[in-house]
Amino acid sequence: MIEVAGDLWSLLEKRGHPLTRPEATAMPARPYDSPAGQGVGAGTGVVDTHGTTVIAVKYDKGVINVGDRRATANFAVMYDKSEKVLPIDDYTLLAISGSFARAMEAVRYLRTTFKLFERTYLQAMSLDGKLAELAKVVRAGIPDAMQGIGGFIPILTTFDRESNEGRIFFYDGMGARFESAEFGAAGSGSMQIRGVFDYIVKTKKPFHDMNREEALKEALFLLDIAADLDAATGGWAKVLPLATTITAEGIEDVPEDELRRIVADIDLQGGERIAPRR
Amino acid sequence: MYSPFDFNEAMNHRKDFVEEALRPGSPAVGIAYEGGIALLSVNRSQRKIYEIYDRQMFSAIGRQADIENIRLASIQMMHQEGFERSPDDVSIQRLVGFSLSPALKKAFGEQFAAPFVIRALFAELGRQPGSDNFFTLNYDGEFRQHRGAAVVAGTSGAEDAMLEKIGEPNPGQSREEALHKALSAWSTGAREAIKRRLAIGGRDDGDDYNPLRDIDESEADSVFLRDELKNGKLEVGLLERRGARDSRFRLLTSDELDKLIQDHV
Repeated sequence: MIEVAGDLWSLLEKRGHPLTRPEATAMPARPYDSPAGQGVGAGTGVVDTHGTTVIAVKYDKGVINVGDRRATANFAVMYDKSEKVLPIDDYTLLAISGSFARAMEAVRYLRTTFKLFERTYLQAMSLDGKLAELAKVVRAGIPDAMQGIGGFIPILTTFDRESNEGRIFFYDGMGARFESAEFGAAGSGSMQIRGVFDYIVKTKKPFHDMNREEALKEALFLLDIAADLDAATGGWAKVLPLATTITAEGIEDVPEDELRRIVADIDLQGGERIAPRR
Repeated sequence: MYSPFDFNEAMNHRKDFVEEALRPGSPAVGIAYEGGIALLSVNRSQRKIYEIYDRQMFSAIGRQADIENIRLASIQMMHQEGFERSPDDVSIQRLVGFSLSPALKKAFGEQFAAPFVIRALFAELGRQPGSDNFFTLNYDGEFRQHRGAAVVAGTSGAEDAMLEKIGEPNPGQSREEALHKALSAWSTGAREAIKRRLAIGGRDDGDDYNPLRDIDESEADSVFLRDELKNGKLEVGLLERRGARDSRFRLLTSDELDKLIQDHV
């Protein structure tokens, strides 16, 4: 008989894949390398590449994800054209922040495991099942994250075809999952802009009542503020951010000329309102 | 003492046992067309055509438990390879030649375990028309690569008749053209295998027991097909070269199947 294991996770576990055995990749803490708490990976001698700010907001047809293109390692810019909003199936997007290495592995794991499940059992994995798989990957990174490397925080957005609406889920570093009614943000610039989301919802209107143009503009405004207030988040002076939507029709990238137009609009509007220098 | 003769005899017994179990199986046809590849069969109870990876699908005749075992093993090996390396490194050439064939050969040679009862057909979508790949894999581990079209059926005679019916591979043909060819080939193959079964079940002259004996050969296939579709269900799986979805695989919808049958008979 040909041996068949239950699922990808147990298969990888059996083969000792590092994704499922984080203690195998985590190095013993070396406190003499650098004073604790100084920069990413302090105490391990390893510096990993981090994605900075990603934002998800609802709109009347689904969900919009935006992200800057920057990836940093401590104070160095590693890459200025990274893609941090990645499709994991026809109706699910993962926006990633934190450790790139681990996040990309998580994306590959999820893509593979969702397909494996569907092809094996001849039915798609439920939304709850998918969220639990993501929690498993986040949780597996805790030993690494405690040493300052390998931690990543995802936002999962999807179009729920049963309830016919976009949905946003965000996670903490332990793998706890929360559903957000309007918006989600993760990454180094996310704390700086957290209150702005609430301000928009309270003073303008809820994101899910906005049309695509309105919601996209607000999301890009938020990203612009994050870039202003967070040293790691990239602005759009050189490289345009990326924006992706999920609707009942599936996943679609916002065309570049549309982004360019809105970004130019924001620059103009923002520029006019900044108080003149004394 | 165990002599080479005993070994030969034992293998022949196993072969007879498996061949007899395979004989009534509903054939499966794989055929390439301009926009992709198709697998076609008529299922009598269970689904018969399965997606196994991004550009690979599978169908088989045999015992359901063995088919399921090979299906799950294939899916798992390919996903593991695709995750640990890249989806670009996954191929049925490697799956069949390096993983499944040795395992099947070993199982067939084990005298005190039941052999696999399976004849499987694997299909792989290429990047361009003409680069599609088919593999057939037998219960004893033997496998063959085919281009353009491939079949599995209850007897080798039925397989030959089916391939003859399909004729020269034509990867540039339209989907409709390919599916009609496949459907004709299926009828020919299924009828051929049953003909033999009737002959064996009855006297030497099997034609006495053949309900189609009075009908003209060309018409017999469509009469037979119509009859088979009363109890069975036509099933067609496609791997399409172009499409907006991430997945290349889909089953033909019942509307599309109805149209195919209507145009055919």
